[in-house]
Amino acid sequence: MKAKLGFFDFTGCEGCQLEVLNFETELVELLNHVDIVNFREAKTEREDNYEIAFVEGSITRESEIPRLKKIRQQAKIVVALGACACLGGVNCLKNFRPMEENLRIVYGDAARYYDTIPARPISSIVPVDYYVPGCPIDKKEFLKVTKALLLGKRPEIPNYPVCVECKLAGNVCTFDKGETCLGPVTRAGCNAICISNGRHCWGCRGPVDDPNTNSEKEILQKHGLTVEDILNQFRIFNGYLEVSK
Amino acid sequence: MENKIIEKQNMAPFVDNLINAEAEVIGPKRKDGKYAFDKLIETGELCLDYDTTLLPPKMYLFPPKETLIKFELGKEPKVEPVAEAKPLILFGVHPYDIKAIELLDVAFSTTNPDINYLSKREKAVIIGVDCLNPNPNAFCPSLGTATAETGFDLMLTDIGDSYVVAIGSSKGEQLLTKYAETREASQAELAQRNSERQKALARYKVTLNISPEELPQLLGKSWDSPWWKEKSEKCLSCGSCIVVCPTCFCFDVQDDIALNLKEGERYRQWDGCMLADFAAVAGEGNFRGDKESRFRHRMYRKGKYIWERYEKLGCVGCGRCASACLAEIASPAETFNKLKEESK
Ligand code: SF4
Ligand code: SF4
Ligand code: SF4
Ligand code: SF4
Ligand code: SF4
Repeated sequence: MKAKLGFFDFTGCEGCQLEVLNFETELVELLNHVDIVNFREAKTEREDNYEIAFVEGSITRESEIPRLKKIRQQAKIVVALGACACLGGVNCLKNFRPMEENLRIVYGDAARYYDTIPARPISSIVPVDYYVPGCPIDKKEFLKVTKALLLGKRPEIPNYPVCVECKLAGNVCTFDKGETCLGPVTRAGCNAICISNGRHCWGCRGPVDDPNTNSEKEILQKHGLTVEDILNQFRIFNGYLEVSK
Repeated sequence: MENKIIEKQNMAPFVDNLINAEAEVIGPKRKDGKYAFDKLIETGELCLDYDTTLLPPKMYLFPPKETLIKFELGKEPKVEPVAEAKPLILFGVHPYDIKAIELLDVAFSTTNPDINYLSKREKAVIIGVDCLNPNPNAFCPSLGTATAETGFDLMLTDIGDSYVVAIGSSKGEQLLTKYAETREASQAELAQRNSERQKALARYKVTLNISPEELPQLLGKSWDSPWWKEKSEKCLSCGSCIVVCPTCFCFDVQDDIALNLKEGERYRQWDGCMLADFAAVAGEGNFRGDKESRFRHRMYRKGKYIWERYEKLGCVGCGRCASACLAEIASPAETFNKLKEESK
């Protein structure tokens, strides 16, 4: 029996679903083991007999809540896909402005036809079984999680900070170059790709289970950031979390 | 031990010859204002006057990630062990890293010999170089790791216009005969080597206020010190200190399966006691679930447990951990000195 998968999108850029579609060769192989019964991005026919639901996007409208609850009711396993679904993601930037103002900025005169609520991760509405973090998700990690689910194993994603992979990649620490970084509190799994490419970590994979954010904030301050700067760093992807408030 | 001289202008041809010979040559190169071991393409990249490297050369003997077995699932599962090794020349290894490799040699061959490490080790040639510009966090002289008498095939010391080369093995001697232009070292040149080493000792900034032999006992009575909690408060559990350490040898083993859900491999990757889940076990348990016990454990490993098990120190004083730790808490020297002070 092939497992039945569904992909669902809420508020996000659809970048994570695109990543899945970008697999090409791997996706074809995966289809030997699964039926994708619901994937708006990829196909028009839809069935609602899925067992594993991959959910992309954060919740930013009232109308999304019952839809998400229905998916949870149907699926045996719900996997949050990407920073928006896992954390709230960049959408949470709007939470720091009154909702009416957001509507006015985005829709102008048509604002009264739309509703908007503070952006939130899907786990704030329904229980989530597993997470594939990142903005966008990492294709290898998506496959790793999916393979584990198909084999009936518990998918493991790293619970150590980006620094581990950053050091293994042989990078010089951004702090040693006079810059700052959220790597010490952010969940690894991306191979520290941003630092290896000359940038720093913005925290798109969200925090590890027990991040030492006090220590991280102290270090950021010691390296020249103001309290405001620090909040702005965390708010890029982690605006829903206490650390950004 | 026999000593030769290589004039500085003859060093580049020697290294070039090695690069063009059968083996891969790994040496310290510049990297964003620091240094890193990497494969040498040409001699010009080699920096023999480096302070220390980001990662230790052990990564070439005990890679961060390494396949152990390949398998195929089915009614009769197939299992094939993997132990890849190719000839390797580690060029420009500092004495403290040589001492660290000597510890790994013992750790990986005691009780259950580690075929993956040992096969790589057997094919590796170590050409050392004395560290004359120590990094500011190093404290090698306090541990007796500023120079090495064993553990290398050749050992170079920069004495100005030339290098003194100590020959540590017949393998080293052969390489020298085959690929380098050398001459006998004079008494004056050997005296010069001693004086360069002496001058280097004065350049270390950190000193241990206790002899290494006393460390196990000191730690033994410091279990309940308030230092552990106080200092570990800032720990990010980021693992930087254990990843950069030349003497850490812990690893985690995991399986990876192909998309056909049949073939796969079992691999190991570096792991370490400062990471939150290192001592996690089934059923949500964790033997060292808090920062304090992890911080203490690492210091016990460095100063007590390893010594008791292998009669070698678990720390060679390279200072990499202290340089890497953003919370500024990882230096064993700081902890050992503090505990010594407390014990008075
Ligand atoms: S996590 Fe990033 S890539 Fe994925 S949907 Fe959200 S914004 Fe797009
Ligand atoms: S650059 Fe960032 S992720 Fe890398 S070691 Fe430094 S703090 Fe950690
Ligand atoms: S380095 Fe940080 S920001 Fe970049 S992908 Fe990894 S977690 Fe995301
Ligand atoms: S001691 Fe420092 S480097 Fe080590 S895990 Fe803690 S914060 Fe990271
Ligand atoms: S504990 Fe620190 S100083 Fe000692 S060998 Fe390891 S990295 Fe070097």
